Amino acid sequence: MAPLVRIHDLVKTFGEGETRVEAVRGLDLDLQRGEIVLVMGPSGSGKTTFLSMLGGLLRVSAGDIWIDGTNIADLGERQLPPFRARTFGFIFQDFNLVAALSARENVEVALNIAGETGRPARERARSLLESMGLADRLDFPVEKLSGGEKQRVAIARAIANHPSLILADEPTANLDSHHGAETMRLLRELAKEEGTSVVIVSHDQRLREVADRVLWLEDGRFKALQALVRDPVCGMLVDPDEAPASLDRDGERLSFCSRGCRDEFSRVDAEDAFAPPAHGIGTMGS
Amino acid sequence: MSVPLARRLLLFRKGRTVAGVAGIAAALLLVLALEAIFAGINDRLTAYIDGTGADVIVAQRGVDTMHMTQSALPEPTAVAVAAVPGVAEAKPILYVPAMVERGERRGIVYLIGDDSGGSPLPVATGRRPHLGEIMLERTLSERLAAPTGSQVRVFGQRFRVSGEVEGLASILNSIAFVRRQELARVLGVAGVVSYVLVRAEPGVQAPELAARIEGSVPGVTASTREAFARSERRVVGDMTTDIVRAMILVGFVIGVAVAGLVAYSATLSQLRDYAVLRALGLRARRALGLAVAQVGATVAAGFVLALVLVWVLATVLPSLTPTLVLAIRADDVAQALGVAAAVALAAAAFPVVRVARVDPASVFRR
Repeated sequence: MAPLVRIHDLVKTFGEGETRVEAVRGLDLDLQRGEIVLVMGPSGSGKTTFLSMLGGLLRVSAGDIWIDGTNIADLGERQLPPFRARTFGFIFQDFNLVAALSARENVEVALNIAGETGRPARERARSLLESMGLADRLDFPVEKLSGGEKQRVAIARAIANHPSLILADEPTANLDSHHGAETMRLLRELAKEEGTSVVIVSHDQRLREVADRVLWLEDGRFKALQALVRDPVCGMLVDPDEAPASLDRDGERLSFCSRGCRDEFSRVDAEDAFAPPAHGIGTMGS
Repeated sequence: MSVPLARRLLLFRKGRTVAGVAGIAAALLLVLALEAIFAGINDRLTAYIDGTGADVIVAQRGVDTMHMTQSALPEPTAVAVAAVPGVAEAKPILYVPAMVERGERRGIVYLIGDDSGGSPLPVATGRRPHLGEIMLERTLSERLAAPTGSQVRVFGQRFRVSGEVEGLASILNSIAFVRRQELARVLGVAGVVSYVLVRAEPGVQAPELAARIEGSVPGVTASTREAFARSERRVVGDMTTDIVRAMILVGFVIGVAVAGLVAYSATLSQLRDYAVLRALGLRARRALGLAVAQVGATVAAGFVLALVLVWVLATVLPSLTPTLVLAIRADDVAQALGVAAAVALAAAAFPVVRVARVDPASVFRR
């Protein structure tokens, strides 16, 4: 079965000359229908740039993004907005609901933009919110909703137009553990029951539980998770070949994200009070 | 029917919207009120002419106004005019600007010497003046505290106030009546009249009669009452046009400043919303339309509020200040509407530029 998304040699550069920055360097990725992919990586690794290009919000510098047979790199400025409305659902860390609208209107407006108006749009919005347990919040100003409720409205808005791909940026970052787990369950349900593909960009390790694949993006490139080890002090994933600091201990090589972490490790180790956690992690990537 | 986005965005911060509407209304009110005041002056300006019942007004050749004008005709001219076929009545009047004094109080009037004492204009209180008497316009009478029966001084002569007329005064001037022969005596201009007020016989058209008088009586200009009133209004119009233009400019500048500021702050606070909507697939043109619609609605509401306010002023002010009459005219409203449209266009420039630059990818920035 053909993948829903096929990304080939995707490149994004900003600036020119001395200020030129390569944010994304030759990414390749296939994404199946109903698959959940979690993209992790340090800040500044290119995750947001990748997500923006995948969602047709940012022009690619080179490469292709085929979505259901359409290369969005080839779409013109007039074609992109309707394509976005039909194809993608967006979920944001800070929800990005329109404060001037009620919960129902926030969902309905996404339907309006995609061309569905009037009673059908209103009914669809109502039905979606009711299915998310927000039946008594339909006409609430979104500013008065809790974080969890806002995220459910955002998810309802994201799936309103039956998108084939949901792009979620830190969807659990502003939620407590209960609402974070609820969001994860909803995303999982969407993928497995509706066949919607989901790409999540996040630092939240909890999301690994729902992801079919975890990709590590660093310096604009996907890196194999098998090759990564965890910094024993801060827990951050580090590429041993490019680690800024390392330490040989009992015949084993420990990698650190920074000299600070290594020094901290050495100090505590010297006091014999530091028990390093297990390092190296199991892979979930393909 | 879609979600009314522009309305929701506009009304979300009600305080800001109301302040914007009020500011724009104040700016447009400047324009509307001033135009209404001048229109009111114009109406009062010709109240005497309109009230005389004259079909044709005869003046010295080349004269077709009363305000800021002198006209002098030999008294026999009135007799000659009366003899023109089609003339039912030819009433000569003297007309001079004068100062009416009562103690320390003074008021400028156009003093009319009229054999009939101002007939057919209705008398509000008292009666028409006899020799040694004067009939004042009520607002002047009140201002001078000179009721019927009191004494005033004009050209150094004492006159007894015989009565009052109403509705002839504006903020620029008032009108008073004395007997013509007495005014001629006081001025020392026996044998001279200023104008001849002519009534046509039934079935005779005023323009035709005016032409006939000019053709029959040498040295005169005969104008229909309508043409004469038009010329009167033009005199004041010429004096006030620059003031009105200046106020329109001031109103426009204030309007643009207020509407621009409102649009500026509203757009800045809504940029995130625009980015989200664009990310969801809203076309750029529609996003611009949302911004422009908000500015347009704010200015339109300001215009309507200004209309309501000027109507309230026109209703309330005359009872407080009888000489200040506001007349709201369709062409003045249309002009203010034009100013409002210009304000909206100018004020919409900033949101249009700002919204056009919104990057939908900014939704991922925190």
